[in-house]
Amino acid sequence: MENLRSIEEFKRLQAILLEHVDTDIPTIIINAGTCGQASGANEIIRAAKSRILGKRLVDKVNLRITGCHGFCQMEPSLLIEPSRTFYPNVKPKDVERIIDAVLHNEIVENLLYKDPSSGDRIEKQEDIPFFKKQARIILGLNENVDPIRIYNYIENNGYSSLCKILEKGDPTWVVEQVKTSELRGRGGAGFPTGFKWELLAKQQNGESKYIVCNADEGDPGAYMDRSVLEGNPHSIIEGMIIGGYASGATDGIIYIRNEYPLAIKHLIIALNQARDLGFLGENILGSDFSFDIQIVKGAGAFVCGEETALMRSVEGKVGEPRQRPPFPIEKGIYGKPTVINNVETWANIPVIIDQGGAEYAKTGTDGNSGTKIFSLVGKIKNTGLVEVPMGMTINEIVYDIGGGPVGKAKIKAVQTGGPSGGCIPADKFDLPIDYDSLAKVGSIMGSGGMIVLDDNTCMVDLARYFMNFLKDESCGKCFTCRMGTQRMHEILDDISKGIGTLDQIDLLEELALAVKDTTMCGLGQTASNPVLSTLRYFRDEYVEHIQNKRCPAGVCEELIQYYINEECTACGLCKKACPEDAITGEKKVRHVIDTTKCIKCGACKSVCKFDAVETR
Amino acid sequence: MNPDIVRDILDKHSQEGNGLISILEDIQARFSYLPEEALKMVAEAKNIPLVDIYGVATFYKAFSLVPRGKHLICACLGTACHVREGPIIVKEFESQLGIKAGETTPDKEFTLETVACLGACALGPIVVVDGHYFSNVGQTEVRGIIEKAAEGFETADLEQDYHIFPVEASCPKCNHSLMDPSRIIDDYPSIRVTASFGRNHGWLTISSMYGSYKVFSEYEIPKETVVHFFCPHCHAELKGATNCVLCGAPMIPMIVSGGGMIQICSRKGCKNHMLDLSGVNL
Repeated sequence: MENLRSIEEFKRLQAILLEHVDTDIPTIIINAGTCGQASGANEIIRAAKSRILGKRLVDKVNLRITGCHGFCQMEPSLLIEPSRTFYPNVKPKDVERIIDAVLHNEIVENLLYKDPSSGDRIEKQEDIPFFKKQARIILGLNENVDPIRIYNYIENNGYSSLCKILEKGDPTWVVEQVKTSELRGRGGAGFPTGFKWELLAKQQNGESKYIVCNADEGDPGAYMDRSVLEGNPHSIIEGMIIGGYASGATDGIIYIRNEYPLAIKHLIIALNQARDLGFLGENILGSDFSFDIQIVKGAGAFVCGEETALMRSVEGKVGEPRQRPPFPIEKGIYGKPTVINNVETWANIPVIIDQGGAEYAKTGTDGNSGTKIFSLVGKIKNTGLVEVPMGMTINEIVYDIGGGPVGKAKIKAVQTGGPSGGCIPADKFDLPIDYDSLAKVGSIMGSGGMIVLDDNTCMVDLARYFMNFLKDESCGKCFTCRMGTQRMHEILDDISKGIGTLDQIDLLEELALAVKDTTMCGLGQTASNPVLSTLRYFRDEYVEHIQNKRCPAGVCEELIQYYINEECTACGLCKKACPEDAITGEKKVRHVIDTTKCIKCGACKSVCKFDAVETR
Repeated sequence: MNPDIVRDILDKHSQEGNGLISILEDIQARFSYLPEEALKMVAEAKNIPLVDIYGVATFYKAFSLVPRGKHLICACLGTACHVREGPIIVKEFESQLGIKAGETTPDKEFTLETVACLGACALGPIVVVDGHYFSNVGQTEVRGIIEKAAEGFETADLEQDYHIFPVEASCPKCNHSLMDPSRIIDDYPSIRVTASFGRNHGWLTISSMYGSYKVFSEYEIPKETVVHFFCPHCHAELKGATNCVLCGAPMIPMIVSGGGMIQICSRKGCKNHMLDLSGVNL
């Protein structure tokens, strides 16, 4: 690759690339993010390549390997362009038929997506309910680019926003655009990005300033950042270069968690390519602006997503947060002014510069502009990543996009914001999703985890789960967080075991408020949220555990018993699976579990094909 | 523990100006844990008190101060996996392996760990074994996963995945076929080139199965060595315009029959490769 030394050279390259794009032949798109690969995308890729080479179809069909498209439930899936035909859950043996159909401009009817409610086959991706209501400004780009090929990104208007600002030559114009766009930090706190940049631009402390991409997506249950990092790393890099230009920073750092090996690989490749082409380094595209980015890997600590802890981790130290002020904007990494933004925030920047801030602000609601990506997971039919305009109601996301509950269960709440967030009960699902409304009901936007809970989810168990996580992840600096999370976990553990008392609920509340008020960083201050919000909306479940020694959801091991209901067909699978020989039953007779022998391992429930094993 | 390896890692990072955490990550990647001797060397080289290094090594979950097993089983317990019965899967692994999460089997074969979230939440419960992902894991599949891990994934892949296919390569300069029917690897004729490094100049054969990494050569090539490839027919050097995006060594282009170009990294040990079926080769 040749280093581009001027904006003209970039435009020439882009023009040549666009000329070579062959739009006359169809393209088969295979999504192979981590989740795609986990469900077998690699075999699909090999099957497709083998067919294309074997039948000499190289000139008749294009193949594009991309990151995640979001409908993870249906992976591995194929998308055909230009027809936009969507094939879900593709098996390697189907690939031949699909390729042959594509060549003849046909569709394979019985491999198309089947709408679960009507049973109808739906051909085009856009007509599938999961995609219909989404506004895929960021996620949609994943379909268009092969993340390890920078030319692919350039063909899709990539690095044009960088070009645009270099042509304008005015950093304050960039800051103005981001301010006008009303973009707020997608990491969860929602601080206006433009203002942050303006503050950094004004810092006079020393020569160097840092720009950081916080890719330490530690919230369990949230993975939208991974998807963007893997699927479109150049958008983040371009966003950061633009941020550097606007604020006068010279050094960029991507702090990424070690648990995302594919994202790290794609970022390394993308950074090398961007440097080779001259988008990073000295005198970018021949201008007098110089900027470079390095990757710093985390080593598995949730607290390092907190900005002051992140900075210490970058410096190679123990990731303990520190008191603010001084804010990172004045004294950050190595004492230098530092701005930290989340992955999704950076990915929005090229879009804002391309459209203009005012145009971008038209999406969403007043004060909450743009879109937000949520990872819609848990007890819901369509799990995956959804990108919606701000202000959409939870109802629309859960039922229209998510397709509602799985089986006969009833959805009772969603949990947003991860361990720092809270639960929103089903009767508040008409709430519009934005930073302010979620805070009002005791949860937070957070980075975008949205975990759907149904009546088989125990709220005490959930609170205990989060507290267990937080007590492990508390860095230990503040006494109240270190001990408070432990004590709260012990109380929740008692309640879930049926040995709790009603006084303990009051104690739990008191402790929760104490931890909230007396800790220093974001982790501690929000650590009580899972307890407080479940107590606020589901206190009756706590009381039921304590007074009647009963877990209504059938989850808490000490309080439940396994039994076999009338759905039993006496197939004998459970009998074979039981390690304790606790199940008896003759042929054609409903089986029975001897509860005195049962060790509650769940083996019978997991092998039963008829949902005949239940807990109560 | 070989102190030279630690010294090499320290050298590499001091050149790149990286921090302590990156150094420890590399040491752990090499030895599967952080040996005390290695930490002492880091302390001396970086002029950081050993106690501070101990602090960092124990603060971050990725680090281990005790040797880990040959195979690492990592079960996800993120929120989505938790509500989808991830804890039952962990228990099953514990009972099958006879160890608790965080421990290593006495024969040093398996280490079982839990992780807060692997970011594949839609497919929970997730288990990752030696970098291979298993999705929607059920209790009854646990045994099979352990067996597969013990077997090794690369061999299992070649045997079970009938979509791994052979490619026919030819020289990009003279177009002569590089296939060698007299040397069979993975049941197919191998791709034969001439390899040159240092003062050694001899044959090198590569498996033609796309997805297999088997390589044999006349002279043993030390790890990390960048090798020059030549066509055995026209004797031209096989050299492309691009470098490996992962390690920086030149990529070796070969024409693939059926219309395409395969590129493999010329560095011994780097597995980077690319099969281009179409697109602009600028």
